[in-house]
Amino acid sequence: MVLLGGSGVGKSSLAMRFGRDEFYTTSPTVGCAYMTRVVHLSDVTLRFEIWDTAGQEKYHSVTPLYYRGAHAALLVYDISKRETFIRAQMWLKELENQYIQGSTVIWLVGNKGDLAQNRQVSVQEGQGLASHKGLFFIETSALSGEHISELLQSVAHRVYESIGGHQGGLSEWQETPIVELQHRDTSNPFASCCKVGP
Amino acid sequence: MSQRTERRGIHVDQSDLLCKKGCGYYGNAAWQGLCSKCWREEYQRVRQKQIQDDWALAEKLQREEEAAYASVHGAQALSHSQPAASQPHTGHASLGAFSKFEEKKTNEKTRKVTTVKKFFSPSSRTASKKETQEGKTPSPSISRHASFDTEQVSKDFVDFLKNLQKPGREIHKQCRAFIVNMSSKKDLGADELSECVQDFYQNLADRLMSHFKGSSESVEQVMDQVEKYIMTRLYKSVFCPETTDDEKKDLATQNRIRALHWVTIEMLCVSMDEEIPEVSENVVKAITDVIEMDSKRVPRDKLACITRCSKHIFSAIRITKNEPASADDFLPALIYIVLKANPPRLQSNIQYITRFCNPSRLMTGEDGYYFTNLCCAAAFIEKLDAQSLNLSPEEFERYMSGQASPRLNNSEGEWPHSGSAVGVTPTNPVLAQLNHNLEMLSGLSSRQESLMEAAQSLQADLIAWPKNVQREVNDILEKYPLEIMSRTVSAIDANNMDNDQLPPPLTPQVFAG
Repeated sequence: MVLLGGSGVGKSSLAMRFGRDEFYTTSPTVGCAYMTRVVHLSDVTLRFEIWDTAGQEKYHSVTPLYYRGAHAALLVYDISKRETFIRAQMWLKELENQYIQGSTVIWLVGNKGDLAQNRQVSVQEGQGLASHKGLFFIETSALSGEHISELLQSVAHRVYESIGGHQGGLSEWQETPIVELQHRDTSNPFASCCKVGP
Repeated sequence: MSQRTERRGIHVDQSDLLCKKGCGYYGNAAWQGLCSKCWREEYQRVRQKQIQDDWALAEKLQREEEAAYASVHGAQALSHSQPAASQPHTGHASLGAFSKFEEKKTNEKTRKVTTVKKFFSPSSRTASKKETQEGKTPSPSISRHASFDTEQVSKDFVDFLKNLQKPGREIHKQCRAFIVNMSSKKDLGADELSECVQDFYQNLADRLMSHFKGSSESVEQVMDQVEKYIMTRLYKSVFCPETTDDEKKDLATQNRIRALHWVTIEMLCVSMDEEIPEVSENVVKAITDVIEMDSKRVPRDKLACITRCSKHIFSAIRITKNEPASADDFLPALIYIVLKANPPRLQSNIQYITRFCNPSRLMTGEDGYYFTNLCCAAAFIEKLDAQSLNLSPEEFERYMSGQASPRLNNSEGEWPHSGSAVGVTPTNPVLAQLNHNLEMLSGLSSRQESLMEAAQSLQADLIAWPKNVQREVNDILEKYPLEIMSRTVSAIDANNMDNDQLPPPLTPQVFAG
């Protein structure tokens, strides 16, 4: 899972939430750019690797290196800052140019849900963009932890659907409960869109 | 005309058939008109010459290699005394007149020679540049003990496989076969080679997977060992191969980084404060690690270096900011470290890892993440422009062309105008460290000199001391010569006058009883 988005939107805090909240962190002392997290679904366990990226604009050109081969990309924007939403659309365009075609599940994440009083991007806007582009949408708050676990669960679910379908059925995967998230060759077209979250 | 030749073909003159040497036997066109005996002699002569030339060539190569080695490892001491590489071609000038296949052989050889030369010259150049610039010496033991390493790795590998018993033998056999197979494919492009290796990994992994019944941990373990073994063996032929322009890219990157020497920590917005000793210690360690990467042979070891480097960076940021670092801080810091370190053969190393590392390592896991970051850093440095450093384009241009410098340092010879600025004011901590080290070194050398002097005087003392003792002894002997008194030999009680008054000695008496 790769976290993308402009600087200061809270990718790292999200990552920290994902990694720290429960279960498992690789090395909490080192930093929160790389983390692993085990997610239990009803019948399988997925191990997520969470790769944080640098959000500053100047590193924009090199980020494709990060999301090659990723199973899920979380496009994060700050609901209290309109420009980050615009940036998110730029990211999205690039993502679409480079990859997509079903191998990567993309989420649009409106972060900082706790700053709703300063909201500059409405839920409808986010939702609209997401359904227009065929993405999943959710609003979260890394500060309060709101919707974090829901997000994780649904991402896990989608990713599992995506790779599970490709690998040929659930039964096979039940035997090997740990699924490498960054599995390379997943080419199952996955295009449906549904609403997750509020 | 044609008729004539045909006629000649049929009615050959008797003399044409005879050996050209005129020994009376019949000759053969395949032996250049010589008879078998004369041909053998001639051939032997040519062979002999060939062998001699080969020897001469081998010696030359050896010398070249030594020279290159010396220049790598003793650059500072020997930089001026490096022997000029002798021309390897001269020995072959006389061979031109010989038969065709000999010629071809020679050509092949000269080609090889130039390749070898090519291989040596840039790397030695790189290394010596590095040394003078960084003041860090790559450990010489690495290249020297290369063959030892290979043996050690093979031994380890066999030991490891012994535990697996029968499948282990199978794996070993496959690996051996694969290596032999690979060595016959040397001329393929790097991408094909990479594909071969990756196919091999994939096949082996699949088979192992079925053997271990899906226990991915043991498969991984075996695969790591296999990778280690194979890549140690193949390293020489597949690292920075001739068929690619990796080497050119290496030099380009190196020059690029050198041209960017003026980039400061502030321009990159790196949240590291090198004033804090622990931070600068971590920075130095990170730099060392990323430089060390080049010396490793196994892709995974290289990855481990990158990971170590990254961890040091993380702790440096952590110490500075007092909170765990995020990717926003990490990438700039890594870029800064790469700029400072200017790791040797960066592009080659990245390519090598990408081509020959086990894909599961590269795409997943911590190592994979940090490697991706390093790739990003390299890509960023290549594309770096004024905007990414928050500078105006004019400023950037000025700095790049060397007309101005944000710092007052410029001791590199690349810019002729500033080369005269010898009075370096070390505003850069690395330079400060360098100066400090230089001072220390000169202090050390003067101390060593005085030590040597002391040792010499001690030696002189030691030599003088027995002489002095001897002299003193002699003096004393002279002063008090040994007088030998004449001894009068007599009975012990000869001059005892009172003998007679002594009572007679006791005589034994027999008592009754």
